[in-house]
Amino acid sequence: MRLEDIYINGTGNISIQEPLSKNGIFFPIAYNQPHIRCIEPNYKEYFDPIVSRRMSKIIKRAIVSAKQAIAESGIKKPDAIITGTGLGCVEDTEKFLDALIRNEEKFLQPTYFIQSTHNTISSQIAINLSCNGYNNTYIHRGVSFENALMDALLLFKKKEIHSALVTGNDEMTPNYFIILGRIDYWKEEVKNTLEILKQNNSTGSFAGEGSVSLLFSDKKSEKSYAKLVGFDLFYKPTISVEEKIKNFLNECQLQLSDIDVCLTGMNGDKENDTIYSQVLGSLFSADSIGYYKQLCGQYYTASSYGLLSAACCIQKGEMPAHMILSGKTKKEIKHILLYNHFQNKDHSLVLLSAC
Amino acid sequence: MALDIFITGLGIVSGIGVGIEETATSLRHKKSGIGKIKYLNTIHDLPCAEVNLSETQMKQMLGIKECENVNRTALMAMLATREAIAQAKLPLDGTYKLAFINGTTVGGMEKSELYYFDFLANDTRNEYIEGHDCGACTEKIADFFGGFSYVSTPSTACSSAANAFILGANLIETGIVDIAIVGGSECITKFHLNGFKTLLILDSEPCRPFDQTRAGLNLGEGAAFLVLESKKVMDERKAKPLCKLSGYGNACDAFHQTASSPDGQGAYLAMNAAIKMSELQPVDIDYINAHGTGTPNNDESESQAILRVFGNNPPKVSSTKSYTGHTTSASGSIEAVISIIAMQQNFIPANLNFKQQMENIPFTPVLDVIENMNLQHILSNSFGFGGNNTSLVFSKI
Repeated sequence: MRLEDIYINGTGNISIQEPLSKNGIFFPIAYNQPHIRCIEPNYKEYFDPIVSRRMSKIIKRAIVSAKQAIAESGIKKPDAIITGTGLGCVEDTEKFLDALIRNEEKFLQPTYFIQSTHNTISSQIAINLSCNGYNNTYIHRGVSFENALMDALLLFKKKEIHSALVTGNDEMTPNYFIILGRIDYWKEEVKNTLEILKQNNSTGSFAGEGSVSLLFSDKKSEKSYAKLVGFDLFYKPTISVEEKIKNFLNECQLQLSDIDVCLTGMNGDKENDTIYSQVLGSLFSADSIGYYKQLCGQYYTASSYGLLSAACCIQKGEMPAHMILSGKTKKEIKHILLYNHFQNKDHSLVLLSAC
Repeated sequence: MALDIFITGLGIVSGIGVGIEETATSLRHKKSGIGKIKYLNTIHDLPCAEVNLSETQMKQMLGIKECENVNRTALMAMLATREAIAQAKLPLDGTYKLAFINGTTVGGMEKSELYYFDFLANDTRNEYIEGHDCGACTEKIADFFGGFSYVSTPSTACSSAANAFILGANLIETGIVDIAIVGGSECITKFHLNGFKTLLILDSEPCRPFDQTRAGLNLGEGAAFLVLESKKVMDERKAKPLCKLSGYGNACDAFHQTASSPDGQGAYLAMNAAIKMSELQPVDIDYINAHGTGTPNNDESESQAILRVFGNNPPKVSSTKSYTGHTTSASGSIEAVISIIAMQQNFIPANLNFKQQMENIPFTPVLDVIENMNLQHILSNSFGFGGNNTSLVFSKI
């Protein structure tokens, strides 16, 4: 789908990198463990301590990162708030579930249940910003964020909205890390997260988590990071993804050679990364294939961090060497194609251009 | 501009029946599905409206092997989707670009609540781990039929399925897909039964929506899916329209995570937006299929919102949750199908168990089935936790 006049005018993020900052993209912290939690900002600046104690981490992160995107963009009440989350509010879900099983359905308290549904994130942001506008939540595996983005883009296309806060939120609790570890999501040992691709001879990656908020507007401003030019999301394609990419660029009126970087969800997992290599091998060279999950870790909405990092790189005009497969800094960046797949079933394409 | 989206197929499974025919019969004969819990293994003796089929029976009906890992939510969805596809005579062979959109919240919780401690301690239940994910449930249903190039899972608690209509309509109107199957599915789990119980919003008697003595909701379960398409595609493949989706409204109450605002601001905005998009006036609406859960808070708030939109003489109102229970994420599509059945068969479903007029509310819900009603436009409300409010307008062709 080709898009016109859609800009990223504000961003906010809390991740395993420096919170509420873009430093993590350009000067990232390296870790040597398979499970990394977010670095939290000082929430005292944002919440009353009594209120804060009752809020789960994911809700605090979501609200604070949303506020950062709002503040940057200058758009106080976006027309739509749409969240993508793979697992939703896991911490509170687990607390309620644990008590439910342990106490055999007795002596339960409502607090954790109230905050357990996936849509708590979008609605808590709306309550916090007093936004009565369009509000929605998508939970669809590794493309949950893209599902939320599609919803916003369709509303833009129909001119039902002029601004949208689109967020990607997931938390990786200790228990959920164990659970997903049972089905080979993680490597047993990680030497250096920034060099996770060097460990791509085995299955699994390292677990991260995060909250990314992006404020989209149909008006360009001096705050604009980048322009969203094209978007596609598809399931089990009947033609090759290579063909899909060619058709997509064609629709966006660009050539393969116009793409400075194809930013992928490579994460050091053998099966995951092989798909990217197969699809992109004939289209792009190692100088123009990028990756970001070494910065944020693997989680269902990590692609939101991918889009954030792409927007920041476009704004800066370069992508740092540690994000490029060949290890060479990419300068004078004008167009970034983001390609993400989940288990080679769900695929997304996002095209970002300099304003 | 009003939506130009046509509905060409319906499928439904709930406590009042499997399929359109049984559902219509129950509605006309005031046969509620609310009763004792039979399938869910729980310590609570609370009235619920379960789908009267075991997983084994559903697997047999669908030709799925007993040993195959398909959860109750997915099985109910498959039954409803199969019926909708058959009615719409929908080809799944790649002739058309198809989307499958499934509103759900509990996803694979029915297994997670059984095996969560195993997930943590050993490898015996690993096959259910990825099934916890709601998106995995959606893909399982889509893959059972095949042929879908777009799959999605909106999740806004009790308005999830209603929001599936919005995405489906917009994917069609922007040409991303030709046809969208939209709806929702949810089985009763111990997780949300106990969750609602801690909130003290479950009635130990059959629920009484819009009644002064109402004391809460009864949970229900089920699935309903509808086939949505553009006029162009419908004409091209000579499909027969059942009705139109004329408009939608989505607004956030932005008041409280589990309570509605006293003046029903979110509900008011959603209903108004849906009527406006349909290019109608409130007076054009012939029937409101209310959210009407039967909780003191919802029905008061929804009534206030109805009065704000329609004035003191609103159109006929009933809550069919007195038949199906509150089917949570699936309620948006279950009640859409019920509304369309009513539209096609020219009757208004009753609001069961009503005895006492609500104080300060001037309207009375529909007390008995009203036959021979020409329903040109129906408004269906779905309101979720977090104030995720969605209203849909269906119109006769």
